[in-house]
Formats: sequence, structure tokens, C-alpha cells
Amino acid sequence: MRVAVVGVGYSGFNANTPDLHWKEIMFEAAVRAYEDAGINPRRDVDSFITCAEDIWEGFAIFDEFVPDQLGAVLKPTCTICGDFLYGLATAYMHITSGLAEVAVVEAHSKASDILTFGEVIKFAMDPIWLRQIGNAHPYYFAALEMAQYINECCITEEQIASVVVKNKNNARLNPSAPYGGKVGIEDVLNSPMVFDPMRKIEIAPRADGAVVFVLANEEIAKKLTDSPVWLKGVGWWSETSNFDTMSFNAMYAAKAAKMAYKMAGITNAAKEVDFAEVDDRFAFKEIQHIEALGLSKRFETATLMVEGYFDRNGELPINVSGGNLGVGNLLEATGGQKALEVVLQLRGEAGKRQLSKAEVGVAQAWRYIPTASGAVAVFGV
Amino acid sequence: MVFNEKIVNPTELRHWEGKIELYWVYTSGSAGDEFFKALKKGKFIAAKCKECGKVYFPPRIYCEYDFSETEYVNISGEGTVRAFTVARLDKDEKPLEKPEIYAIIDLDGTDGCIVHLLNAKPEDVYVGMRVKPVLKAKNKREGRITDILYYKPS
Ligand SMILES: [Zn+2]
Repeated sequence: MRVAVVGVGYSGFNANTPDLHWKEIMFEAAVRAYEDAGINPRRDVDSFITCAEDIWEGFAIFDEFVPDQLGAVLKPTCTICGDFLYGLATAYMHITSGLAEVAVVEAHSKASDILTFGEVIKFAMDPIWLRQIGNAHPYYFAALEMAQYINECCITEEQIASVVVKNKNNARLNPSAPYGGKVGIEDVLNSPMVFDPMRKIEIAPRADGAVVFVLANEEIAKKLTDSPVWLKGVGWWSETSNFDTMSFNAMYAAKAAKMAYKMAGITNAAKEVDFAEVDDRFAFKEIQHIEALGLSKRFETATLMVEGYFDRNGELPINVSGGNLGVGNLLEATGGQKALEVVLQLRGEAGKRQLSKAEVGVAQAWRYIPTASGAVAVFGV
Repeated sequence: MVFNEKIVNPTELRHWEGKIELYWVYTSGSAGDEFFKALKKGKFIAAKCKECGKVYFPPRIYCEYDFSETEYVNISGEGTVRAFTVARLDKDEKPLEKPEIYAIIDLDGTDGCIVHLLNAKPEDVYVGMRVKPVLKAKNKREGRITDILYYKPS
């Protein structure tokens, strides 16, 4: 059985959203998705899945706060404690198992409500072995991984800078990307070193927004739309929670991709995937994730980046939406924004940033510091 | 539709700052306890898998690869810098008064590592540098990871 995306809606993305409650951001995205799909959530949806983490929200047992703003009251509803892409995998299973014909997936970020972002991440760090050490922002943990990675792969600061340049400039064509800018290599190299070797501009700033997808089985999808986008593969993987056994090499993304590609029947990703949206919440992560997804070879990716291979008009466009560096860190909606961009591109609805060849696209998200976990989704038309 | 109108005057927007105090005890567990008791005496231990021989640091009671038990082994606590960063911002993204060097240190006689502070001049630190732990004075030790003040070049 095939599963299709039959409706997408989003709200944002903005640096902050003081005029809307987070439930209203969700509501706005949901209304647009249902309109896009041509469905009534009170009548047509069999399963609602939200993706959220209590600590980002500022209150516990988030799943109890979900149903009303999605039209899910008195309906099967559950919350996945993870990124939007994990929610997609869950919806896929609900539909292919026959439990649901139509399922809805939601994720959001009201990051601007978080006043102590550093403390929140610290709260995710091991309290016995890691949390008590030092006074720095936990961004240091990503910088350690970066230091190891660029050393192993001989990646230069100019190569890292080229990721920022590409994504910030891509974002200028995305009306929903609040952090786009006409940025050059020099601008990046002039950005202050904040966690050497990591510069301030290499860290994705936070953003608010919500993403809602409506998914359906093949039969319903064909009734709802003439141009469904198929969810061809999903995968997710965790390495370990322990810093001593993590690969610091995005093995989680490589394994999740392997799982998703197998399901999608992709044997040579570098040839068969037309474009991808990958997690770039730290600039070096983009290079790491491109390799993990098998879209280029280890040791070659950074060179290809500088040569323009991953540009909007390059051989294999990466983060044509602007990525997290251009759109922002959307917390658990990060994978949602990436999946959204893939669907818009596949539908030919990406406006000025529309790619000429878009038949198979990949979305990938990481679970952020201090994790070595993540998920991948493959879409096609 | 409710979004025909939105609040356009920012002075009419309201919010309130909420905080809630939450407290936990974090138990170090049997492997952690073994380590922190040893640390109080100035000693380091790791845990070796009885099945595959992999030596874990931080020590734990099971091997995460083959799910079998481990046994404790003594180690020196010294090691080699695998990666390091000079952290310049505090948890609120304000400049730290004094930058802190964090390092991943591969510990001798183990397959594991510790993440801790390094007391050295940033320009003197390099990958592969040999380092050793500096502990608090014996009577000040509490049996926690901060009993290790920092690592320093050995
Ligand atoms: Zn073992």
C-alpha cells in the first residue's frame, strides 16, 4: 500500500510571534493544511499525531494540550516525543496497518517563548557526567563534535563558510525564511569565533512556526488530488545516549537513510535523489549529513560544496529553502519545514526557488544537542 | 475565519513570565557509585565487558553492544585530547568572563572518554596532547564529577 501527502499547511516562519499563542500557530497551520487537502478534520481524519517535547513547551504532558487546535477532540490522538519526521513514520504505520485511512501530522516551534534556551538544552545533558561541568552554553557540545569532524576530514573554515553563504542566499528566495541575507565568505569569516572552531553565524538562530501534513492511503489520495506526493520511505535511528560511544560522525543519519532508502527502493542515492533538505542547525552538520545520506563521498563533500555542486542551480541542490541557517532552528518542527520544502518542490509550488528537476527529494532531521539520533523521509512523485 | 484580524498594535500584546522550581536527586547508580567512591580516594576505574572485552568509561554495569555484564578495572585517569573547543559564551549567550576550554579526552586503558575542562592556554592545546586530571583537595571532594577540577597538560 502506498501513502501520499495530500495536504500541507504551515504558519511562519518567524523570529518571534508575540501576537499568537502556540495553539493558534498550530491552528493556523492546520486550517491551511485541511484547506489544501480539501478535507474536514472533524469528519475525515482517523488519526492525529503531534510531535513535541515537554521541555521546549514549558509544561509537562504536552499531549493533553493537543486535540482542540487540530480539530482532534474525541478522536485518536497521540504525541511523539521527537521530530516531525518521526511523526510521519508513525502516520505511515497507522495508514499501512489499516488503522487509519487519513492521518494528520503536526509539529511546531514557539522557541521565542523560551527565555532560557541554554538551560533547556543543559537539562537534556547527562546530570551525573556532563551537566555539572563548566559554565558555558551547551553549544560547546556541538563544537566538540565539529572539532573532531573537521580534523578527521580535513575541512577548512572556508569550506564551512560556504555552507553558510549558500543557505543564507538560498533563503533570500524563500518568503518564509526570516534569516536570509546577502552573505559572502568574508562576512562569515568575520563572524566572531564563539566556540572555536565554530563561529556565531554557523549556529542557526531560533524561529517560530508550525507545519501540518495530511496523509492518506492510495485510494483516498486519488480521490482527493490528481497530483499526490508519495511518502516513499521513512527511517529513524539512535546511536546511544552516551558521549563515549557516539560516533560524532552522524552514523544515526546514515543508518536512518539506509532504512528509508531500502523502503523507497533507492540503491544509489547520489544518482537517484534530485535534491535534499538536511539538518544544518550548525553549518558543519550539513556537510556531515550530506555524506551520511550517501549524496557524496566522505572527504569530497566539502570540496563539492565550495565548487557549487550543492547550490540551487548545482548538480544536487541541498537546502534550497535556506535550511535552518536561513529559516531558523524550529525545534521539533525542523524536519517538518524540510519535508514541507520537499513537497512544495515536488508539486512545483516553490515559487522563485523552484528547482527544474524535482522528482525524488529527501528530508532529514537530527534530534539536536546532545543527541546522536535522527530521522529521514524520502518523497517522490 | 478568526485570522481576518490580528493584533497589530504591539503595545496591546500581553505575556507573563512563568517559572517553576523543580528539584530532583540524580542517583549515580551502582557503577557511578563505584566510580565516585574511587574518585574520592583519588583513583579512577572503568568497566570491562566480560564478553567482548570493550572497556567503558564512564563505567557502567552492562555492555551496550552485546548487552552482557561488565567488571571494574583500574585506570590512571590520564589520557589524550581527541578534540577541543574554546567556549566563549555562557548559557545565556553572553560572553564568559574567562573562556573555558572543553575537551574530549580518550582515557588510557579504555575504549571510552571523558568530556571535561582543560586548564591550558588555548594556543597551547592540540589534538593528541597528553593530559592528566587535577582533583579537588581530598577533604573537599563530594563524590561527583566536579571533584575533577580540570585536566592539564602532563
Ligand atoms: Zn561487550
